[in-house]
Amino acid sequence: MEVHYRIRRPVALEARFRIQGFTVLLGESGVGKTTLLKALAGLVPAEGRPYGGLPPERRPVGYLPQDLALFPHMTAWENVAFPLAGGNRKARALAFLERVGLEEHAHKRPSQLSGGQKQRVALARALARNPEILLLDEPTSALDPLTKDQVLGELVDLIRREGIPTLAVSHDPTLARMADWLVVMGPGRILQEGPPEEVYSAPKQLLVARLLGYENLLPARVAPGGVEIQGVHLRLPLPPWAQPGEMAWVGIRAEEVIVVRQDRPPPPENILEGVLVSLHPEGLAYRGVFQGSIRLQILLPRHVQARLNLRPGQRLQVVLKPHYLHLMPGEAD
Amino acid sequence: MLEPPFWTALTLSLEVALTASFVLLLTGVPLAWWLAFRSFPGKALLEAIFLLPLVLPPTVLGFYILLFLGPEGPWRKLTGLSWAFSFEGLVFASVLFSLPFALTAYREAFLALDRNLLEVARTLGVPRGKIWLKVVLPLTWPGLLSGTLLAFAHTLGEFGVVLMVGGSIPGKTQMVSIYLYDLVQALRFREAAEASAVLLLLSLGVLVAVRLLEARGRAWKSTTG
Repeated sequence: MEVHYRIRRPVALEARFRIQGFTVLLGESGVGKTTLLKALAGLVPAEGRPYGGLPPERRPVGYLPQDLALFPHMTAWENVAFPLAGGNRKARALAFLERVGLEEHAHKRPSQLSGGQKQRVALARALARNPEILLLDEPTSALDPLTKDQVLGELVDLIRREGIPTLAVSHDPTLARMADWLVVMGPGRILQEGPPEEVYSAPKQLLVARLLGYENLLPARVAPGGVEIQGVHLRLPLPPWAQPGEMAWVGIRAEEVIVVRQDRPPPPENILEGVLVSLHPEGLAYRGVFQGSIRLQILLPRHVQARLNLRPGQRLQVVLKPHYLHLMPGEAD
Repeated sequence: MLEPPFWTALTLSLEVALTASFVLLLTGVPLAWWLAFRSFPGKALLEAIFLLPLVLPPTVLGFYILLFLGPEGPWRKLTGLSWAFSFEGLVFASVLFSLPFALTAYREAFLALDRNLLEVARTLGVPRGKIWLKVVLPLTWPGLLSGTLLAFAHTLGEFGVVLMVGGSIPGKTQMVSIYLYDLVQALRFREAAEASAVLLLLSLGVLVAVRLLEARGRAWKSTTG
């Protein structure tokens, strides 16, 4: 489904993108993600396709706001039955609850349900409305951080089984990784869209790379066969747009900065010498700062640190493999 | 013992208060909804005008209403009805006098309503009437009812406004607060004490009901989070 919307207030934005399977729209807070979602639901004045000009009650969308907005005075099944008209409402509502795996909680009030269960009641209520698309606002925010990934995975599976195209807006990269289609939004406009693996590995611009968690973003000048960063020449395959002399940005993920092992043959290129300024545990990995002619964030898996036993202050070599260096056009900030 | 004129005056007060509360419910609820959710130029001024009876001396309000409803007033010219010194005039004055109480309570009830619930309800493709019946009223009725009861109690105890608009015609416009005043003027303190006790208990009962309703309203709010 093609979406093209123009909104003036409360945030000015124009967005043109595709919704395809489980689509995640990633963007920082304040860029207008929620506004765009509400505009699609008809709750914010906007012009565009699809559904432009229709009041909310006539748009075939299932809208799940960030707080889910379950009716607090109704039980789960009464919530689901709310959009249903005609006879047999209870039996039909129970069937929807069964589809989301919550039939045994049908008689509970929202206050008695967990975040994930509330989310599925809200989903069942939206499905009962018989929507063409589902709109999810920050679906990770209502979830307990400890079980977030699992609950989210189940929700996404459920939505895929229902086969309804879905647009989920979020600032959470965890959700973006589960998408069939990823759209990245900047202030007031769409920056990039595509399959998530493509967007993740090849962000087209600095803002996208920042949003996707590239820790090292360095201004560079294109040189024959590579780039110059702060006087260091790094070899990397140049895309057709990159002409020598042009300014650009290089993005390097911290986990893709590789520490050279002295007991192995040295790699052929892009070796930097320097000092490990700091190193501290982060979950099961170790995050540190390398200071050579370039300053880099590094992230070591624990098996690597177990073998190397690195300490802050010690000298070391790192290698930046050409295919882990991602080049993007753009002037320095 | 309390004499028949007391019961006549009390009955009149109850009738006026009940009618005024009913009118307030019908007019105040849509008005409060409008004030809670719409913004327009001059809204602050309009809200101030509705709140004016709260601070105006009741005799000043009563005086203006008397001029408005009187034989030479615009109401008579507009409708041909003469409402000064009548039951209708008392109700009219009571509605204006208690409007700030009812309006404030209704508006609070609507503002406490989670806007997301209304938005989601609209996206679920149901008619507006169903949203009112199944979502708005079930969540706001404690607030609406407590506001109406407050207005009822307030009307029951009014003095200055009804004296100006209704005078003190026994059996016709003599409300219980005015009857009490007349008793004291006539130095009949024992009867005045008995009448006061009845009014005290009545007002206390209404206020207890209001507090219970407010607690009920809060119970829903705590489950929306």
